[in-house]
Amino acid sequence: MNVITDALCPFCGCLCDDITVVVEDNKIIEAKHACMLGSAKILGHCRLGGNNIETHHTIKEPMTRVDKNSNFKEVSYDEAINEAAEILAKSKRPLLYGWASASCEVHKKGLLLAEELGAIIDNTASVCHGPTGLATHEKGSPSATLGQIKNRADVIVFWGCNPVQAHPRHMGRYSSFARGFFSEKGRKGRKIIVLDVRKTDTAKMADEYVEIQQGSDYLVISALRAILSGHADVVPASVGGVLKDQLVKVVETLKTAKFGAIFFGMGLTQSKSRYKNIDNAVSLTFDLNSFTKFVITPMRGHYNVTGFNQVCTWETGFTTAVDFSRGLPYYNPGETAANDVLNRNEVDAAMVIAADAAAHFPANSVRRLAKMPLVQIDPHWSATTEIANVVIPTAICGIEVEGTAYRMDGVSLRLRKMIEPTHLTDEEVLERITQRVKELRGE
Amino acid sequence: MELLIKNGAVYDPVNGIAGDRADISIKDGKIVEKVSSGASVIDAGGRLVMAGGVDAHSHIAGAKVNLGRLMRPEDSRIGLKSRTKITRVYSGYTVPNVFAMGYRYAQMGYTTVFEAAQAIMKARHTHEELEEIPIIDKGALTLFGSNWPTMDYVREKNLDKLAAYVAWGLLASRGFGVKVVNPGGGEMWGFGKNVTSLDDVVPNFDVTPAQIIVSLMKANEMLRLPHSVHLHCNNLGKPGNYKTTLASMELAKQIKPAKDRQVLHVTHLTFNAWGGTNWGDFESKADEIANYLNNSDNVTTDMGQLIFGSATTMTADGPVQYANAKLLHAKWGNGDVELEDASGVVPIFYAKQISIHAIMWAIGLELALLTKDPYKVLLTTDHPNGGPFVNYPEVIALLMSNKKRQEEIKTLHEAVHKRTKIPGIERELDFNDIAIMTRAGPAKVLGLLDTKGHLGVGADADVAIYDIKPDQIDPSVEYAKIKSAFQSAAYTIKGGEVVVKDGQITATPMGRTFWVDATVPEEQTEIMMKDIRMKFKNYYSINLANYMVQDAYVTHPKVVKAGAIPVKVS
Amino acid sequence: MQTVTIKPRKEIRISVEAENISPDKFAGKTEKEILSMEAWMGNQKTTLGELFSVKVDGSGAAADTKIVMDGDFSRIKRIGEGMTAGLIMIKGNVDMHLGAKMSGGKISVTGNVDSWAGREMKGGELIIEGNAGYYLGAGYRGETCGMRGGKITVLGSALDFVGEHMCGGEIIVKGNTGILPGLSNNGGKIVIEGNTSRPGSEMAKGTIIVNGTVDEMMPVFKVEGTETIDGVTYRKYTGDVIVNGKGVLYVK
Repeated sequence: MNVITDALCPFCGCLCDDITVVVEDNKIIEAKHACMLGSAKILGHCRLGGNNIETHHTIKEPMTRVDKNSNFKEVSYDEAINEAAEILAKSKRPLLYGWASASCEVHKKGLLLAEELGAIIDNTASVCHGPTGLATHEKGSPSATLGQIKNRADVIVFWGCNPVQAHPRHMGRYSSFARGFFSEKGRKGRKIIVLDVRKTDTAKMADEYVEIQQGSDYLVISALRAILSGHADVVPASVGGVLKDQLVKVVETLKTAKFGAIFFGMGLTQSKSRYKNIDNAVSLTFDLNSFTKFVITPMRGHYNVTGFNQVCTWETGFTTAVDFSRGLPYYNPGETAANDVLNRNEVDAAMVIAADAAAHFPANSVRRLAKMPLVQIDPHWSATTEIANVVIPTAICGIEVEGTAYRMDGVSLRLRKMIEPTHLTDEEVLERITQRVKELRGE
Repeated sequence: MELLIKNGAVYDPVNGIAGDRADISIKDGKIVEKVSSGASVIDAGGRLVMAGGVDAHSHIAGAKVNLGRLMRPEDSRIGLKSRTKITRVYSGYTVPNVFAMGYRYAQMGYTTVFEAAQAIMKARHTHEELEEIPIIDKGALTLFGSNWPTMDYVREKNLDKLAAYVAWGLLASRGFGVKVVNPGGGEMWGFGKNVTSLDDVVPNFDVTPAQIIVSLMKANEMLRLPHSVHLHCNNLGKPGNYKTTLASMELAKQIKPAKDRQVLHVTHLTFNAWGGTNWGDFESKADEIANYLNNSDNVTTDMGQLIFGSATTMTADGPVQYANAKLLHAKWGNGDVELEDASGVVPIFYAKQISIHAIMWAIGLELALLTKDPYKVLLTTDHPNGGPFVNYPEVIALLMSNKKRQEEIKTLHEAVHKRTKIPGIERELDFNDIAIMTRAGPAKVLGLLDTKGHLGVGADADVAIYDIKPDQIDPSVEYAKIKSAFQSAAYTIKGGEVVVKDGQITATPMGRTFWVDATVPEEQTEIMMKDIRMKFKNYYSINLANYMVQDAYVTHPKVVKAGAIPVKVS
Repeated sequence: MQTVTIKPRKEIRISVEAENISPDKFAGKTEKEILSMEAWMGNQKTTLGELFSVKVDGSGAAADTKIVMDGDFSRIKRIGEGMTAGLIMIKGNVDMHLGAKMSGGKISVTGNVDSWAGREMKGGELIIEGNAGYYLGAGYRGETCGMRGGKITVLGSALDFVGEHMCGGEIIVKGNTGILPGLSNNGGKIVIEGNTSRPGSEMAKGTIIVNGTVDEMMPVFKVEGTETIDGVTYRKYTGDVIVNGKGVLYVK
């Protein structure tokens, strides 16, 4: 029996680093301190969340098939890698998508392959927190590490996010209930405000719940900013379904905080006005700093979706959705993101790695993927497997392979290897595909 | 592998060579006495030969640099270059990608660059980027000026614990030296406030910036670190701050250096040699600073020269960045790090017709030209705060030619005449001075003079050859040629390998990362660690076991030993 | 006077970047030279000749060069990028970035244009008879200025973010627009004949006139009574108050 302490949980953006894992015969039998979602992943039952327990299985062998209606045939890694390389090398508009559940080391290999192929490379931020990046281009990012919030925050705002369900240990470790140097009283010393379109479990625990009419977040943020800047007079009696009195009360709470933190989720990034909501929320945070200290942090979903954006930014200058087709990195979401090019039916071959595009993309994009040569690299069987031509199973990052991951606040940590892998790693597979692509091109 | 550089006009101030024809022999990455007849030969043909450039203060890697990139796709779309068989893609001007960072430095003949600030908790990120910067040797200075353990030990006047913490912090961050930014201010920014003088008391910690600076200088010398304390002064960005700067320099008088170097390096003076009381009567006080430097031997500085055009300011000085963002109506990045420090990122455009910018442009130059000893003022732009490092050749040309300066002054806001001394300064630096400000000086200030910044036997074989014949050029008049030659080295040789020829990258070896392993008596570390363990248990959001930068992130380390017992830098 | 006539040779699925289609690039060039000019289809370098038939009549400077494009160009991006003079007449639809960064000359399109038409435009004129996509006359991501000068007229409708970060020039949309027109603008004039929603958020300077209905008003404007322009009476608003904006919004 082997006990690993201080291990990282490779599930959500909280990236909890206090997990004690018990290993017996190269099997994890216990994951102490992990939440239900985290322990489900670590214990190997599933990859994508509590709902999918028992439905997601690991893929045993590399597989290929002649066409999408045929059955898969188990093949060697060499054969699968060769076929993947042939598909990608032939493509005029290849798309490399995914990267959420993989380490930064994998991302580096992926970016190299994208450069080599002249591909578009995009990550899952494209369908969750991509708008956060777009807002950062416009307004910046006034943020802080989570410990800063735990130690200081006396006002915490959750906007369009539901940590009780999606980030179960967030409130205990970093926010609502966390105790720190200036926050010894924990929850008792804090005011929690939740803004959402429905009364979530998180909202039920709030001191103040603000119910916003679907799609009106942008208007509400502007109203808060107008009141904060001393222009309450121009704000109508009700904005986005919220009474002005409540908005005035919220502003008073925000500006009299000693240290305030706003956390936001897909309720804000994916509702009407999308990234402009975040843009406006960043401005609200900026404005609040004229009165007190305020920071804003996205509730990133997958444990290392942030890491891809970091690596892609330092290697290319751009955060995701980078088009290398002309050799130079070109970035313009709306034009170069996965769903942009899929929707226009431009992509002629794709590779999906460490994410399940088929489960999370709009139907039209999935239909396109289903019709083109598709390579999947993933430890687990998923909806994407069902539409793939070449399936290459890999070791699970953060469980079977070491590597780097970035927490939702941009703190990087080292993932542990808990058990010995039974499959090639993503890094090895990508290296071999890249090598084979070079050979096919006579380089 | 052997290489002989023949017939160069060599400027090697450390070894007293000033333009003499000399041959440089290289073997196995080092400068040697002589090589065999089988050595490859580069005929410099009377062209200028210097040691590879050394930059002691630049922001090249880490969380705030990457936040700068993320905030500025409009910058990343400048300077794009496709990959070639040996190079990856280039992007960015003020915030280049990791590859362009290494290539562009090498193309200017630079071979060693230090990142000026990393918080320990985010050091892993810094090293991830450093690992991907090609060619150059590098290192990173670690922030200590607002760390809770620092302030606790300063308050307790426990220098042993402080020294043990600094040594451990350098190990944890794989850092090279002690960086102090707006001491105490980083903590106060945690609640949106700031310190306003060296003697303000930081609430809850009961220490003053002056006490933090002095104690860290003492710990630094106790540990015999290669570099001195590297200080970004309090009140940076505020008119009248030259007084704080002078007062900070004055603190260095209390300390005796443990090594042959300064005890305090005060950085990017362009931002803290400011007179006046507001933006209306804002003026340069670089002359006062230069005067101080001329009468003092334990302080060094760097220019932080302003370059007109686009820049991205980035610093651990969180409060000054919020003030900047408000003033400029600009986008604002902020990155507080729990228990350690703050940081901020704000884009800016320096315009010739804005009086403040014109005056700031003058400050860096005045400082360099009014300070007699070039070892005391290093050439930097505080990249990318004053402007991107690719503009060093512009700065060199300005320093070498009064004519160029006068022509530039004609295009600037008239305030440059009334509020600075630059129009009347006639001094023109020579190649020897430039070799000091860009090679010997930074190497000496960093404490790396045994292997960097010169061409003597035993030094690293980092060499730059520029397409200038010193005996046939008048830099005062032919400044355009000077600038273009320094922009694009005829050869850059890194560790004995030709990495640049005619301005083009020819090879991309992986450089090394310098970090300092300072020895402290074990029991001292153990006592200190009790406090650290308590801080992790109660306050940090990660576990101690996951805090230190692992070896996997420093694959080509160059460990410099230091510690209470004198150990030779190897 | 030089006239260059361009027709597509085949149906195009993967979008083509063809910034070489511009009077500045074609001026004084022969048919052969134009046919061999570079274009990119996905990651493949190709030539204009591979994709289009090209006919050249006469020769002249950019200002005297007229490009006539006839056919479906809905997968051809960056036409007229950076042009300083001359004329492009397109009978058909075009893809993204039409006339981006143009500073002079005129482009007319009989069909629809995709997003970012007139991006960072400095001068000249863009006339679109069909509909426009997102970000008409807007900027590149992260830039503080979108359109700085010139004039864009859309006879149909436009999608979201018309004139985002606009610093000068004029945009007229005869139909409706999507949400947030004139977002963060700092100058210039936007006229929307049809309906829109959330106009003028964060505007610091500039004018927006809406002749149709505003679905949702931003709660950031001062009501300044009414004003009559060219015989039409408008409700006048100023703002955005949050940024101490001096922008003016007229709603019929």
